[in-house]
Amino acid sequence: MSAIDLSALSAHQVRDSIAAGEFTAREAAEAAYARIEALDGDVHAFLQLTPELAFAAADRVDTARAAGDELPSLAGVPAGIKDNMNLIGTRTTCGSRMLENYESVYDCTAVRRLLDAGALPIGKCNMDEFAFGSSTENSAYGPTHNPWDLARVPGGSSGGSAACVAAGMTSISLGSDTGGSIRQPGALTGTVALKPTYGRVSRYGVVAFGSSLDQIGPFGTSVDDVALALEAISGADSMDATSSSEPVGSYADGLDQGVRGLRVGIVRDMLDLEGCGAEIRASVDMAAETFAALGAEVGEVELPATRHGLAAYYIIGPAEASSNLARFDGIRYGHRAADPADVLDLYMRSRAEGFGPETIRRIMLGTYALSAGYYDAYYGQAQKARTLIIEDFRAAFERFDVLLTPTTPEVAFRFGEKSDPYTMYLNDVYTIPVNLAGNCAISVPSGLCSASGMPIGLQIIGDHFAEATLLRAAAAFEEATGFDPVPPLVNSLGS
Amino acid sequence: MLAHIHEGSPALAKDRLTEVLIRYEAVIGLEIHTEITAVNTKMFCGCPVAFGGEPNTRVCPVCLGMPGALPVPNEAAIEWTVIAGLATECDIALWSQFHRKQYFYPDMPKDYQISQYDLPFCSGGFVDIEVDGDGVAERADLGGALAFVGPEAVPEDGGYRARIGITRIHLEEDTGKMVHVGGSEGRIAGATHSLVDFNRAGTPLMELVSEPDIRTPEEARRFAQKLRSIWLALGVSDCSMEEGSMRVDANVSVRLRGATGLGTKSEVKNMNSFKSLHDAIAYEIVRQADLLDAGSRVVQETRHWDAGAKRTSGLRSKEEAHDYRYFPEPDMVPFSFDPAWIAGLAESLPELPDARRDRYMAEFGLPKHDAAALSAEHALACYFEDAVALAGTDRARLVANWMLGDLAAHLNAEGIEIGSSRVTAAMLAELVGLIEDGTISGKQAKEVFADAAVSGDAPGAIVEARGMKQVSDTSAIEAVVRNVIDAHPDEAANYRAGKTGLIGFFVGQVMREMRGQGNPAVVNEVVRRLLG
Ligand SMILES: [Zn+2]
Repeated sequence: MSAIDLSALSAHQVRDSIAAGEFTAREAAEAAYARIEALDGDVHAFLQLTPELAFAAADRVDTARAAGDELPSLAGVPAGIKDNMNLIGTRTTCGSRMLENYESVYDCTAVRRLLDAGALPIGKCNMDEFAFGSSTENSAYGPTHNPWDLARVPGGSSGGSAACVAAGMTSISLGSDTGGSIRQPGALTGTVALKPTYGRVSRYGVVAFGSSLDQIGPFGTSVDDVALALEAISGADSMDATSSSEPVGSYADGLDQGVRGLRVGIVRDMLDLEGCGAEIRASVDMAAETFAALGAEVGEVELPATRHGLAAYYIIGPAEASSNLARFDGIRYGHRAADPADVLDLYMRSRAEGFGPETIRRIMLGTYALSAGYYDAYYGQAQKARTLIIEDFRAAFERFDVLLTPTTPEVAFRFGEKSDPYTMYLNDVYTIPVNLAGNCAISVPSGLCSASGMPIGLQIIGDHFAEATLLRAAAAFEEATGFDPVPPLVNSLGS
Repeated sequence: MLAHIHEGSPALAKDRLTEVLIRYEAVIGLEIHTEITAVNTKMFCGCPVAFGGEPNTRVCPVCLGMPGALPVPNEAAIEWTVIAGLATECDIALWSQFHRKQYFYPDMPKDYQISQYDLPFCSGGFVDIEVDGDGVAERADLGGALAFVGPEAVPEDGGYRARIGITRIHLEEDTGKMVHVGGSEGRIAGATHSLVDFNRAGTPLMELVSEPDIRTPEEARRFAQKLRSIWLALGVSDCSMEEGSMRVDANVSVRLRGATGLGTKSEVKNMNSFKSLHDAIAYEIVRQADLLDAGSRVVQETRHWDAGAKRTSGLRSKEEAHDYRYFPEPDMVPFSFDPAWIAGLAESLPELPDARRDRYMAEFGLPKHDAAALSAEHALACYFEDAVALAGTDRARLVANWMLGDLAAHLNAEGIEIGSSRVTAAMLAELVGLIEDGTISGKQAKEVFADAAVSGDAPGAIVEARGMKQVSDTSAIEAVVRNVIDAHPDEAANYRAGKTGLIGFFVGQVMREMRGQGNPAVVNEVVRRLLG
């Protein structure tokens, strides 16, 4: 093992240590690859390692330091990148056979910005195919295992991004979140995971799933690291017409300002949902007590329309996905069926062969929902429900600064445990309404399940573009609980 | 059976159309796609807008539909569309958005086209057309060219005026182009494989949909021509039907005169000239009428015009019912327009062809036909106005005559646009000046024009070099006339005896003697006087 234990260092500390000359960026990259060598055979967080890119980036950091230049905020910080984000010099497979050999021809803006801040691109992380799933079991390249218990899922769809941070293989990572794909794996792996406000981070270069829902966001082992990464990737982008020109805050500054007077609302009716584990429900009430003890004004709120969230999401998400995935047709790139009889045969067989079952399910759902004669009953109704949910959140944020819910109704489950799609979909019941409303939310570890020993996540939801407030609340909670979860797998390495 | 005969029948006789249109009324609507060539970049990316070029050289991740790429709207293209709407009396939406139109085709990179659905930028406009000449006869219901009621009459030339409604003008992105290899003439039938060129993909494309107000092939042609002339005046597009920057499809159905319901329509495509548009619709009207006459029925389908065979043919493959599954484009936020911005655009609209024609008639005294011809084509109008500015307003009619005469013939013969003519507006003004001040005769001017059209030399220089200055000096001409009369005593006697037709003989003889340089008016006068 390398002398540097990334799991014991925050991204901040890695950057400062490099700046102070305690170790080099190259050594940080070596440490990441050593850890991957030791653990990723079991975890399978990565689909592709990119040492040429990582070491080249590390050498730029080391050269800059040698020249006496001021180092950027994430200089030398090893990072994992979900495999649905384009980066020249990598394949971007989206966890799909369809794009098995697809080489990126341009850079995703958020990835570019992360690398411009000095981060080292260690590799591309495993995911459910095209981000359809909550366990990485839908990856065409085999699932990622939860570093807390290799028999359990890491959550999804950004399971690889969560696992590589949880296992200390990288300090930070980028995931994408359409209905909970960052926060849910964050909760299941005991990592800090943030879904920014829609428009906060450019979507240019992340392979689209649900265009009105998708956001790229960071994973880290601390709120501080997540704030640092968010600051690096945020901001307007001329390549994304839905990116916002709302100014980017200094998210990492002011995290220590506490929550005195902050209005914290427990979303009571979501907590009372059937299927929410008793211990998980209790963890939210305990979190509320923690906030109260820190001087926050804690109250309760109801978001009645969010009970339509799952249904609305499984119309809107697949509808947009069915359209976004049409381009994978075997004509210009991606899998092409051999010896097609005609163009229709080429389309049908290329797609049938290239896509996995969940992807095909979502495309069919979405195609149906948009079809003539069904549009009003499905897509139209779903948009109405979405409007009600947006209105619920708007009203709630008139009374509160942040809202509390569990991130997931249960802790990480075992592989194969959720065999029918619907029970799998229920895992995102708390995260989905936030995407529909476009708000920001973070999952922070709030304890371990007494029965399974698996991490529990607290979801804190913020108003539109109130990431600074959200992060401040999360940092106060993190500090007050003093909970710094490290999976047993990592502890077993000793280092 | 009849239908079968028609499928293979040759060119359509004009009187067949007229005959059919006495019994049947045609209901025609046009869909006109125009590429906005006025912009520098494509609709949703930064690639340049241009025609042709090496395949797939003007492409990027966005217009290739690469995974993760996003569209960013070209605001200039939206502004041009609004301008086009204002110029055709449309209402401009204050709130609008793009939709995705979904269907699979290899020339469409994303397998959906970003288009507009229920919220087009422009709706509810109209264009007035005038039909005169032979085309009037197609309106059988008007009872002949002169005796009709209904559309507003334009009595002085026996034509009529009609107002054609515009349902909407929306903005979308153009597709790429397929090239089929291995078959005959690039057709898909028999091809071994197909290539796609995405240079055109993403070019801003305005789609105008007319109301089904058009009743004859001639009206359809006039409507399309009028729109082209408006687009050219605005500068929104180069409107080349040959290069495909303007493409016209026609929805055609027929019904018995007096019937109120609509007949089954066919959509006719692939007309790459205004003549094709006229002929394809004429063919289609007769074809449908023949089907109905034979007790058969019209099938709703898309039909292609074959300009060579002068017939339309249905696609052999079975028609698939398209469900485009439109939904609002989530990659862009909706647009809301400031009424003041729209009003500003309306105020800064350039002079449109009809206004220009009327001004030419009022200001320069041009006959209506000439004024219309010069104002219909923006480049022609600019040339005309440049030449008149130099030659003087009182010579405008002469300039117009030259443009519609020798210049038009020259352009036609060379197959070039006016912008490529060697004879510039300044040169034509100079030429007209030389005629007007008597330096050269009209006949000499034709020679000078022909020379200038080849050499590009200034008319004054050509006159100088050829020593072809006109002789108007009466005493010099008198000397020549006397010599001619003396040389032809018999003809002179006959003339004086009443055969005044011989005047032409004497003028011709004099002009020959003077190598064409005699001022015809003076020669004429002197011959008459000395013979008289
Ligand atoms: Zn492009």
